[in-house]
Amino acid sequence: MSVENLAISFGSNQVLKSVNLELHAGETLGVIGPNGAGKTVMLNIMTGILKPDGGRLVFLGRDILKEGVVERVRMGLGRTFQIPRSFRNMTAYENSLVGAVFGSGLTERAAGARARDILDMIGLSGKKLEPAGKLGLLDRKRLEIGVALATGPRALLLDEAAGGLTESEVAEILGIVRKVKESGVGVIWIEHVLQTMLHGTDRVMLLAEGRDVICGRPRDVMSSREVEEAYLGAGVGARTRRKRA
Amino acid sequence: MGARTSGIRQIGGAPGPRGGWAARKPLVLAAAVVVLALLPLYASDYGISVGILIFLYMSLGQMWNLLAGYSGLVSLGQQAFVGIGGYTLAMVTQAYHMSIALSFFIAAGVSLAFALVISFPIFKMSGVYFTVGTWIVSEALLVFFRNWAFVKYDAGYNITVAYRISMPALYLGALAVGLGATALVYFILRSRMGLALMAIRDDESAAEARGVRLYRTKLACFLISSVYTGITGVVLYLNITYVKPGAAFGIDWTVCMVFIVVIGGLGTIEGPVIGAVIYVILRQYTYNFPGISMIMLGVAAVAIIMLAPEGIMGAVHGRFGFRLFSTERRPPPGTGPRQYPEDAADV
Ligand SMILES: Nc1ncnc2c1ncn2[C@@H]1O[C@H](COP(=O)(O)OP(=O)(O)OP(=O)(O)O)[C@@H](O)[C@H]1O
Ligand SMILES: [Mg+2]
Repeated sequence: MSVENLAISFGSNQVLKSVNLELHAGETLGVIGPNGAGKTVMLNIMTGILKPDGGRLVFLGRDILKEGVVERVRMGLGRTFQIPRSFRNMTAYENSLVGAVFGSGLTERAAGARARDILDMIGLSGKKLEPAGKLGLLDRKRLEIGVALATGPRALLLDEAAGGLTESEVAEILGIVRKVKESGVGVIWIEHVLQTMLHGTDRVMLLAEGRDVICGRPRDVMSSREVEEAYLGAGVGARTRRKRA
Repeated sequence: MGARTSGIRQIGGAPGPRGGWAARKPLVLAAAVVVLALLPLYASDYGISVGILIFLYMSLGQMWNLLAGYSGLVSLGQQAFVGIGGYTLAMVTQAYHMSIALSFFIAAGVSLAFALVISFPIFKMSGVYFTVGTWIVSEALLVFFRNWAFVKYDAGYNITVAYRISMPALYLGALAVGLGATALVYFILRSRMGLALMAIRDDESAAEARGVRLYRTKLACFLISSVYTGITGVVLYLNITYVKPGAAFGIDWTVCMVFIVVIGGLGTIEGPVIGAVIYVILRQYTYNFPGISMIMLGVAAVAIIMLAPEGIMGAVHGRFGFRLFSTERRPPPGTGPRQYPEDAADV
């Protein structure tokens, strides 16, 4: 997958000016950036929720910016939402089933096995018959990834999959993402928590001022002047942000 | 109702052998249907007439719930289809002297065609615009009927064929329509489309992000609901026996649907059943207080909503985990850790 010159503005607010990135199969690309940098906006453009003013999004060799939300899911573009958007009156299993049935066009019967296996993989099989609305934050975050995985993605886009979790909970998410990556899926992982990015990604990109400022090995990017400037420039230290509930 | 253990198990989900209630449920339901079908043998005429109303309003409620409760389409225009049903019956039997049976097919066809045509403009709107749009369309239809020579303008029709239908026969028709609506919603929810609908009910745009086609699913719901409401309209007017534009296309119809669904429980199958029973009984009672009957119904609705914001069925489910008609999917048996001790413990 590759993104070229992606741009979007809301009125006079030019959120993305020119964003470029590339993602390979089996690779995890971290995306960091201060609050309001446009990380979620970028993801919404990729999945078809927002229409960009310009740019290209090439997926499986084809520019897919004209495709609808559903077409992109079925092509293999899975995502999670920053605030988990599970179907609260449906059980964890049914949530996963929705992804498996509609994300891939399987019959309910065929999708059932996949939905069940995914719950095993994300460590939720003990709670598969609980309504999603009754799950705690960690479980909802897990389920969010599970439902996205159930759609059978070739590329998985994570929007703060570890946001708001404690250190040991983050480790659980890291474990899941690692398994996903090992299965050959490309992952774009947006996160505030810089520490997570050090361990969980192959490369990290900084999104700030509407551009992909730098991109490289996690350690190099984290210690770069650009990251320091972007985060201090936004007025908040990156470290204090970890305390968000 | 099986207030026994049942529901709690169901939600806690101990898989394995299905419990006593689950196994016996089809039998209990079948017995209930038989008891209801035999009601004309043991109930008074008044009892039968109340039964007729309950089942017809149940049908209206189910169909409105299919829209508002599952596909997020809050329509204030479903009276259009009640009116289409009523007028189809009048025209087919009075103006053309054809059979009542034919009215059902024509009402279904006309409802389908009308729903399809109006879907193009109103499905371009969403949220409150959709709601207002449906209402305006139905008001327009009312005005149109009042000025349409073919249906004798505002004069209306006596539906004389209806006089020849006995109360028990009408009751059985209403029973079939009411239970049929409930069964229809149940089977829809058990189908692939139902899985999509439940996801849409909980979070529409998240459902789309998982691959659910919103437009197609909602349109299918709208068409099914409209056709069935049209068919219900035919039976309603076999009972009312007199059709006039103002009443047939009055928003009152939809107001009762809203009342029934909201007090019973939006987005539940049992909700419209309970809601219809309460609505019809309350309305019979408030007939004794002409003038303030609407106020009394309003107060009752507010009271129930304050006590049970998610309707009666929502409250029952929240407290006891009880569902008469479970649409819950079960995972297929297979590998991996399945039964955890905490499964049973943490309910
Ligand atoms: N649909 C929209 N309409 C108008 N403005 C929007 C819309 N979506 C996002 N924005 C604006 O775009 C900017 C970037 O928002 P975005 O949510 O992408 O930030 P983010 O990088 O994800 O931040 P955070 O770390 O807080 O999640 C914000 O100023 C926001 O107000
Ligand atoms: Mg964001």
